[in-house]
Amino acid sequence: MFLLAMRSIRHRPGRFLATLLSAFLGAAIIMTFNSMHDTAAQDGVDSTSAETLSTAAGVVGGYGTLLVFFAVASALTVNVRQRAAELELLRCSGATEAQLKRMVVGEAVAVALVGTALAIGPAMLGGRALLEVFQDSGQVAESVDPVFGPIAFMTGIDITLLASAGAAFLAVRRATRGQERRGGARKFLAYAALLTGAVSALATFVFSATDAALMAPPAYGAILLSVGFALMAPRLLEAVLDRLPLSGAIGWLAVRNLRERAGQLAGILMSLILFTAVATATLTMQAVESDAVAASGLTKSIDAKNLETLNFTVVGIIVVFVCVMLVNSLYAATSYRVREFGQQRLAGATPGQVLGTVGMETLVLTVTGVVFGMAAALAGIVPFTMVRTDGVLPGEVYGIGVAVTAVAAAVTLGTSLATARRMLRTPAVGAVAVAS
Amino acid sequence: MLRAGSRRTHGTRPTHERGPAAEALRLVKVSKTYGTGDGAVTALDGVTFGLGRGTFTAVMGPSGSGKTTLLHCAAGLDRPDSGIVCVDGTELTGGGEAELTRFRRGRIGFVFQQYNLLETLTVAQNTVLPLKLAGQRVDRGRAKEVLASVGLGDRLGHRPGQLSGGQRQRVAIARALVTEPRVIFADEPTGALDTRSAREVLLLLQRAVRAHGRTVVMVTHDPVAASYADSVLFLADGRLAGRMDAPTADAVAERLAHLGDTVTTGV
Repeated sequence: MFLLAMRSIRHRPGRFLATLLSAFLGAAIIMTFNSMHDTAAQDGVDSTSAETLSTAAGVVGGYGTLLVFFAVASALTVNVRQRAAELELLRCSGATEAQLKRMVVGEAVAVALVGTALAIGPAMLGGRALLEVFQDSGQVAESVDPVFGPIAFMTGIDITLLASAGAAFLAVRRATRGQERRGGARKFLAYAALLTGAVSALATFVFSATDAALMAPPAYGAILLSVGFALMAPRLLEAVLDRLPLSGAIGWLAVRNLRERAGQLAGILMSLILFTAVATATLTMQAVESDAVAASGLTKSIDAKNLETLNFTVVGIIVVFVCVMLVNSLYAATSYRVREFGQQRLAGATPGQVLGTVGMETLVLTVTGVVFGMAAALAGIVPFTMVRTDGVLPGEVYGIGVAVTAVAAAVTLGTSLATARRMLRTPAVGAVAVAS
Repeated sequence: MLRAGSRRTHGTRPTHERGPAAEALRLVKVSKTYGTGDGAVTALDGVTFGLGRGTFTAVMGPSGSGKTTLLHCAAGLDRPDSGIVCVDGTELTGGGEAELTRFRRGRIGFVFQQYNLLETLTVAQNTVLPLKLAGQRVDRGRAKEVLASVGLGDRLGHRPGQLSGGQRQRVAIARALVTEPRVIFADEPTGALDTRSAREVLLLLQRAVRAHGRTVVMVTHDPVAASYADSVLFLADGRLAGRMDAPTADAVAERLAHLGDTVTTGV
């Protein structure tokens, strides 16, 4: 089975590109930040510098592990779903479930190894650049040299391999087991996340304006609320579709397609909500905080600077990962529909109408995701601003909101329209003949 | 070369005077080659024929004889390398896919072996889809009527996935009929069906011709299916290799079995 896995990678390298990219990015980020541990561990580093470096490594390393897992898992889920026919064929040819599992996990591990190996060079450069950022802002002494040592190396390989193997295992199990049964648990988790999110956001009012930890409750509140919304994504989408006054062939078809595929699209909507909420809330609150510090005439403490750097880094990483996930899952979801597009064209749809329908579907999806993401973000931003300053809604929120929305729209619309356009190059008759 | 006088039209049935053209479909010296160089395959080699309105014609031939290519070229799904295709008196000219699509709307309906119904839409929605896409007013009563006429009046809200193969093909026929096209092209419409469902589908196609004056062109490899047509066009190596009026299954099978002989002896 391992030989079969290797062969299937060699013959279809394109299919594994998404997984490889996720593993590569994940390994690069994990190794970049964990090399801060190595740097901090060398002799002659003062305690303040070491603490800054270790905190950054710890926080982002933890985030990174989760993100690698999600990104690889989403890439592999799509990969396995698209290969349902191939896996079925193997099963009919006598492959046991365990053998299939070994094959998919073997493929994932091999791809993860390649991704990690490719990431070592960029991670070394990234570590150097990160240290320079810390040194420029005075958080780390100039005398500290960058080190890329065993901690970075081992964590990079271990985490990427474990996350890939685990994600592959879950993906193939989901594909072979068939239907999910987590309806009730999911609902409970969603309500729990919404409730604790609301409590956390309201808890902001307990703090005073100058508390160091003031940013924590509203930030957690916004993230938890967005997780709650994300868990409810399919139902939110259906609720939006019920109220959508779309007419015309394109709107009519788009609403029906979305309704039918609400379950499958939940993953994309989830990424969109989380991305919008985390990016908007973190960036806006950081901007408010910086303004407030500047207005009070004080200079920032090392801790405050650390927090700022961390905030920006975390947002940056989340943005990159969510973009990769969105591009990956939208590409897969759209290219999977080549047969459906062919059928629409044979029923009398012009290529323009097919593209219009895809665009409309993506637009509805993006607007829904951004609206609920913004709602979660505002639930954190407003309490924070009220406590920290005299205002309710900071001026920065508009610019940041527009920027976040623009990134989300560019990624989603760009990917699905470009993919659909490519799919339309196949003649309609050929497209429906493809055994999908 | 074309022994069977393929220019002759089959005009015994009273034609419905709805448009100017007496011929629903005319092909003149249509050729199509796939690939280039040594690997080039001539799928159609100067095919010329015309079909009168209100006729039911089967196109038969061995695998690789070019029947599917013929259907695709005649229906504007593929463009021939040379030659002229006229549907309902209007020439099908080049241009992009959007232009061809607009040409097909209202002129051409399709029935495929694999049904090609959209899984996300119900039976009723699938039926009215061509009207929606063409931007026409959707007459739900009319759609219901057409679906009832193919025996699916009680399945309006079902999804294609909940229907049997025969039922799906009947939905496809209803969808092809609802736009009132001049020509309906059917590509192996019974290829995936059991004998009874196949018979129902063929009778529906026959009724579309007899009762509603549609023109049906059906590609098939099944002599029994071909026997439901008014006439059969035989195709071999990309050329017309004969024609049979009032076909019976046995006669068609007999002719098919000897199709290779007639071609090699240079008809």
